[in-house]
Amino acid sequence: MPPAVIVQELRKTYAPKGKGVPVEAVKGISFEVGEGEFFGLLGPNGAGKSTTIGCITSLVRPTSGTILVDAVDVVARPTEAKRKIAVVPQTRNLDRDLTVREVLTYHGRYFGLAAAEREARADRLLSELQMKEKADAKPLTLSGGQQQRVMIARALMHDPKVLLLDEPTTGLDPQARRQLWSTLRALHKSGVTVILTTHYMEEADQLCERLAVVDHGKILALGTPAELKKSLPSGHILDLWLRSHASLMEKLGLIEGVLKVEAVEAKEGDEASGVTERLRLFIDGRDGLLEQALRVVREQGADLHHVSLAAPSLEDVYIHLTGKDLRE
Amino acid sequence: MTAFLAWLRRDLHVALRNAPLLLGGLMQPILVILVFGNLMPRLGLVTPDFAIVMVPGLMAISVLMSGVQGLLMPLAADLSGTREVDERILSPLPPLLVALERILAGAIQSSLTGLLALPIMLFLMHEVRGFDLDPAWTLLLPVVLACGFLAAAFGLTLGTLVQPRFAGILFSVLLGPMMLFGCAYYPWRAMDSMGFVQWLFCLNPLVFISEAMRACVTPERPHMAAPLIAMGIAFYGFVFTWAGARLFEKRTIA
Repeated sequence: MPPAVIVQELRKTYAPKGKGVPVEAVKGISFEVGEGEFFGLLGPNGAGKSTTIGCITSLVRPTSGTILVDAVDVVARPTEAKRKIAVVPQTRNLDRDLTVREVLTYHGRYFGLAAAEREARADRLLSELQMKEKADAKPLTLSGGQQQRVMIARALMHDPKVLLLDEPTTGLDPQARRQLWSTLRALHKSGVTVILTTHYMEEADQLCERLAVVDHGKILALGTPAELKKSLPSGHILDLWLRSHASLMEKLGLIEGVLKVEAVEAKEGDEASGVTERLRLFIDGRDGLLEQALRVVREQGADLHHVSLAAPSLEDVYIHLTGKDLRE
Repeated sequence: MTAFLAWLRRDLHVALRNAPLLLGGLMQPILVILVFGNLMPRLGLVTPDFAIVMVPGLMAISVLMSGVQGLLMPLAADLSGTREVDERILSPLPPLLVALERILAGAIQSSLTGLLALPIMLFLMHEVRGFDLDPAWTLLLPVVLACGFLAAAFGLTLGTLVQPRFAGILFSVLLGPMMLFGCAYYPWRAMDSMGFVQWLFCLNPLVFISEAMRACVTPERPHMAAPLIAMGIAFYGFVFTWAGARLFEKRTIA
């Protein structure tokens, strides 16, 4: 089966605003999304995720590169491509002059659905997304999570090939976020191809079958969450937060069982507590390694603030790839 | 085409639902006629004739104002924040047609306001003597629609250019002078003896709307020649449609 979405060597440079400089938001991104796949673009704000989504939906004109949605070239035939995609944008942009139900039925009209079909579909989606009671409400009277669900229902009205969600859970409370996750899982099960952008590691880990880690307009790594975690030097991570600079890296690296030592940029919050350095040790699972590491720290006269020992997460993949924390 | 008609339906549906907003475009004619067409003739301060000169001009003002109001504020707010416009751009319709649909919906709305202004003004003036009006009704409808199109295209252009916080000042800085120098309160032909000054007025698109209304509502009185009116409306209609559509596309697609 051909891929649902193909993005090849996508580049987007925004023209300078006023006397500013041009901004290279996307610098050559390529990926494919299979039919029925749940694909994620993971990265910090400003990494180029939204620009990439914008290019796929034709709201952003690529500087160069090719995008095919279900074999339709988005740049050359945007109107045809728009029939195949649906977007849940980052901004809540429901038509505030209509009721929830009208938002759905009008959307059906825009895409040429016959009256009986759009009514039936609106009914089904309203009950599937548990918005039936709010069918006659105006969008602005709804909570953020409810608006998000209406936007998903709206997107599904014209039965798109590919559903794109741009940071769908940003600004939602934890409960609404979990509810949205289960909605998205159910959608994926029903066969919809989903592309999701997020800067929440946990979200990407929970939902995406495959994901691209994006930073500064480039893809740093691409794979399943398990593959990405496996790409780390080991399955155990020991972090040391230090108050004083000391040439520990080399000494720690000599300990048997320590596979790799990396310096991680200290966070702003860390500096307040006097932490100036964070070292990350990839270690194997043997006993006694923690004591050994602590002994080396003491011997070198370093001032240790605290330590942590954990199994790797996607966050660690990101830190490994960029040398810095993914800040929210 | 399906998407175009569906959006037109949506826009007219919402306009109908928000019908009280039409009052914005009707206030000027109602108030001015009450004072100059009813109160002042009764007091003997002006002749009723004066009000009859203003009736077509005030229709023109309501067409212009509702055309601008219908597009300027919603569009300016939408483009700079709420992004409801993305739903339009994402429907299977080229951005140029999205812009044209908005102009057409605005044109229908503003020509309706203009047409509504006429009987309201006639009613407000009906007690005053010396009142004679014989509008060319069959001509009126298509001409008002063309004027509405020009007004809406002008509104689209302003809406894509102006930030919402500057929209208020636009009414006093741009639309106020346009109304006063738009031949709404006096006929263009009354300036025949003023030479090039008369032609300077043609820089103001409202002049052509006022004169078009004058040619339809008081055809027997002096007004700009029909071919000149048609040219002016076609010219400004084309310029603002072109500029507005281009700016709209620029603002909606990065």
